[in-house]
Amino acid sequence: MSTSNDVRDDVLLDVRDLSVVYESAGAEPVQAVDHVSFQLRRGEFVGLVGESGSGKSTLGYALTRLQKPPARTNGGSILFDGADVQGLGTEALRQQRQGGFAMVLQSGMNALNPVRTIRNHFVDVFKAHGHVPRDQWHSRAVELVSKVELDPSVLARFPGELSGGMRQRVSIALALSLEPQLMVFDEPTTALDVLVQHAVMDTIIALQRSEGFTAVLISHDLGIVLESAQRVLVMHEGRIVEDGASADVLENPQDDYTRMLLSHYADPRAEVVSLPGFEDRSIRHARGERRVDTTTSVPTVSTRGQRVAQQPIVVSGVTKTYAPPRRGDEPVRAVRDVSFSLEPGRSLALVGQSGSGKSTIAKLVTGVERPTSGSVTFGDTDVTKLRGRALRSFRSDVQMVFQDPYAALNPLHTVEYTLTRPVVNFTGLTGQEARRRVLELLETVGLTPVEQFAAKLPHQLSGGQRQRVVIARALASDPQVIIADEPVSMLDVSLRAGVLALLEDLREQWGVSLLYITHDLLSARLITDDIMVLNQGAVVERGGTAEVLQRPTDPYTITLLDAVPNPRRSLATGGAR
Amino acid sequence: MTSTVSVHLPEGAPPSGPAEQKAPSRWLTIGRMAATIWSNPKAKIGVIILGVFVLTAIFAPLLAPYGGSENGFERNADASWAHWMGTTAAGEDVLSQLIYGARISVLVGVVAGVLSTLIAVGIGLSWGYMKGFGGEVVGFVVNLFLVIPGLPLMIVIAAYLQNGGILVIMAVIVVTGWAWGARVLRSQTQSLRSRDFVTAARFSGESSGRIVFREILPNMTSLITGSFFGAATSAILAEAGLEFLGLGDSSIVSWGTILYWAQNSNALLTGQWILLFAPGLCIALLAMSLTLINFGVDAVGNPRLREGGAKKAKEARACALELKETRSVSATPAPSRPAGSDQRATGTEDES
Repeated sequence: MSTSNDVRDDVLLDVRDLSVVYESAGAEPVQAVDHVSFQLRRGEFVGLVGESGSGKSTLGYALTRLQKPPARTNGGSILFDGADVQGLGTEALRQQRQGGFAMVLQSGMNALNPVRTIRNHFVDVFKAHGHVPRDQWHSRAVELVSKVELDPSVLARFPGELSGGMRQRVSIALALSLEPQLMVFDEPTTALDVLVQHAVMDTIIALQRSEGFTAVLISHDLGIVLESAQRVLVMHEGRIVEDGASADVLENPQDDYTRMLLSHYADPRAEVVSLPGFEDRSIRHARGERRVDTTTSVPTVSTRGQRVAQQPIVVSGVTKTYAPPRRGDEPVRAVRDVSFSLEPGRSLALVGQSGSGKSTIAKLVTGVERPTSGSVTFGDTDVTKLRGRALRSFRSDVQMVFQDPYAALNPLHTVEYTLTRPVVNFTGLTGQEARRRVLELLETVGLTPVEQFAAKLPHQLSGGQRQRVVIARALASDPQVIIADEPVSMLDVSLRAGVLALLEDLREQWGVSLLYITHDLLSARLITDDIMVLNQGAVVERGGTAEVLQRPTDPYTITLLDAVPNPRRSLATGGAR
Repeated sequence: MTSTVSVHLPEGAPPSGPAEQKAPSRWLTIGRMAATIWSNPKAKIGVIILGVFVLTAIFAPLLAPYGGSENGFERNADASWAHWMGTTAAGEDVLSQLIYGARISVLVGVVAGVLSTLIAVGIGLSWGYMKGFGGEVVGFVVNLFLVIPGLPLMIVIAAYLQNGGILVIMAVIVVTGWAWGARVLRSQTQSLRSRDFVTAARFSGESSGRIVFREILPNMTSLITGSFFGAATSAILAEAGLEFLGLGDSSIVSWGTILYWAQNSNALLTGQWILLFAPGLCIALLAMSLTLINFGVDAVGNPRLREGGAKKAKEARACALELKETRSVSATPAPSRPAGSDQRATGTEDES
């Protein structure tokens, strides 16, 4: 934080009363940014946090003048270095991009031209702005990629040859090449794998320190922002509801919304882990209570007697090898000699970063793929040999909840249709009885009033509501096992707890066993009994969830635990890293 | 598909009126589609031109001053008040022939277009959904029809079935015209079958047929419509071409036969250029109107193209990014269409 009293000279960006509205034909105008005012000092690292639809990206686009119709600024001003950005023409704006402001996008890594080498991308920028003499092109490009901790050899490679994290680093280096005074990072790490996210974030923080540019980090994850930024702006419904130093926001949040966001963070390593709606599992179990006994929060589960005759899923010595992606490559060993059993009514977490083979295991368990060797059995059924009718009846017992609630529902079918199909197929109910069952399912997952939700199309639902529909569909056949593949990773923090609570209640009240696949250790801690940590297809650690997370022994588990954003821990170790 | 636009709805949007609470009626969907097409200026021109031709075809007996094959007028007459476009070598009124000729072209366009689209849908969808040997076999047959040049094949078949009348012509066009559409629909089916909602339908115990026709097919409406207009265009052109070559029934009145007889009687040499020009222009206009409508159909499947222009397209993406955050935009893969339509900018422009 600057100690300068001469505020005027110190301010790089001055946003006053800014409003941005989306006006598209045939729809109500949406006020995405609503009378927002703030100032950025030179060299400051500011985080801008909000959930989906809070207007934070719209604000970021407005700051860098990348906004396009139907978004329209309908009030206020943006002063950059004392000059109004809004008045700039296209050419002035283009020149302003050098030494002015730059933006790194979430999908920036996909914005690279696949048929041009990385070097050519830099040359294009140098040519367009002419700020680097021709004979220094190479040395400057090498310098830039080293700044983002890449080897200079990447310059000769094509984007397709680089990993997502490397490409995102390249796009940061490209933005840096114009020596901007203001860098806006819009969810720079969201599309990356957990462990890579952490490393890229560290690079951004180090760069900001060494280059001294002013940075705005837009993110949905308050944890990441509090760990890296000095100051935090929290956006909610187009307004900035909180503006303060990271430590202050953490210690003493002013707004209810910020408090709500903060309440959803916890350290999965702690002795006692509680979130809104979740009292710590071990304490609760010791008292013999169920989640619904200790909380009043949603959702409601219609009471049904516990099932009889349940069967375990037993996976033993399973290996899955895929053919090599290109001739001459090594075959891909997605799963290596994995064994576990999922007992009725238990919940098991499979954790690991992407590529660790956890989703492949889900496919093997559900009979979508067949293992190369080893066996998967459900009771007396050999899952690996199922076909046609037998596979269908197996699926009435083992159902799946998908990661992306936006992709898992057919956009053209109503909720009622989506739910009626499995009811008709698996239970044989028809007509009014089927409908009654559908409404019952909706009530089970807490979508009330049921009649209204039944008639809706997926796009009329929020992400959390969609995921509840997906869960309701999985329940329609009255399954014994639910496989949930990252069911909350696409949802906003505030919606996650509700979906997790629903899964927990279903397990406790219906006796459904749960295979929970995730990279998020905190959610695993909340709703699972046992945990298995996968690294490159092999199990590296297993045991009781609380046990493993509190006392991890494998270095990979420890790396995963370190990658969990946790504002409080960073504060304890001396403020922002 | 429609979800790409509709995410703009604020979360927890208030329940819409009782009318919309009902299951979404098919008519509503079609109506919305028609409105989108109409809002596109190019498509609007296309619809107007097409409308004029269709009305002309329907009301030909009312509009035409004489009968289509009514002869006995002065031969090779120039334009006059009695015969606005003159008469043919056989003494028929050219304007009347032109008006009646619209009937054949529109009929062939609709019937052959619908039939070849139906075949394309049936084969394309099952081919896209099938895996393994069955798919290979279908693929071989489709590729066979794709590699054989269309017009020569048509000529050979038509010559073999000499003078079979308009039905034979339509059959020939359908047989040679479905393969391209099938190929396009197959790729879209393959892309859709890997979507989560299709996997989910399999977990819901749905049969393959139901998945293909209730889950996948409705998501391809705009692509199929586009495919229909493409097929209709080529059917109209092929019909005129075959008639012009004298491979059809040369006694019927169609734009192709007008051209055929005009060519036979050396109309150009006798100064009656209008005999060649007028039917040629009509064919071109009708084909163009269908292609223009296809611009609008594109916008139905790809909301980014609505309101035109790359600027808007980028904005739509920015907006979608903003609202969807961590998810990549699940916009429809840009439907590729049969020949005769534009190459669009697919929104790959770089924003950084």
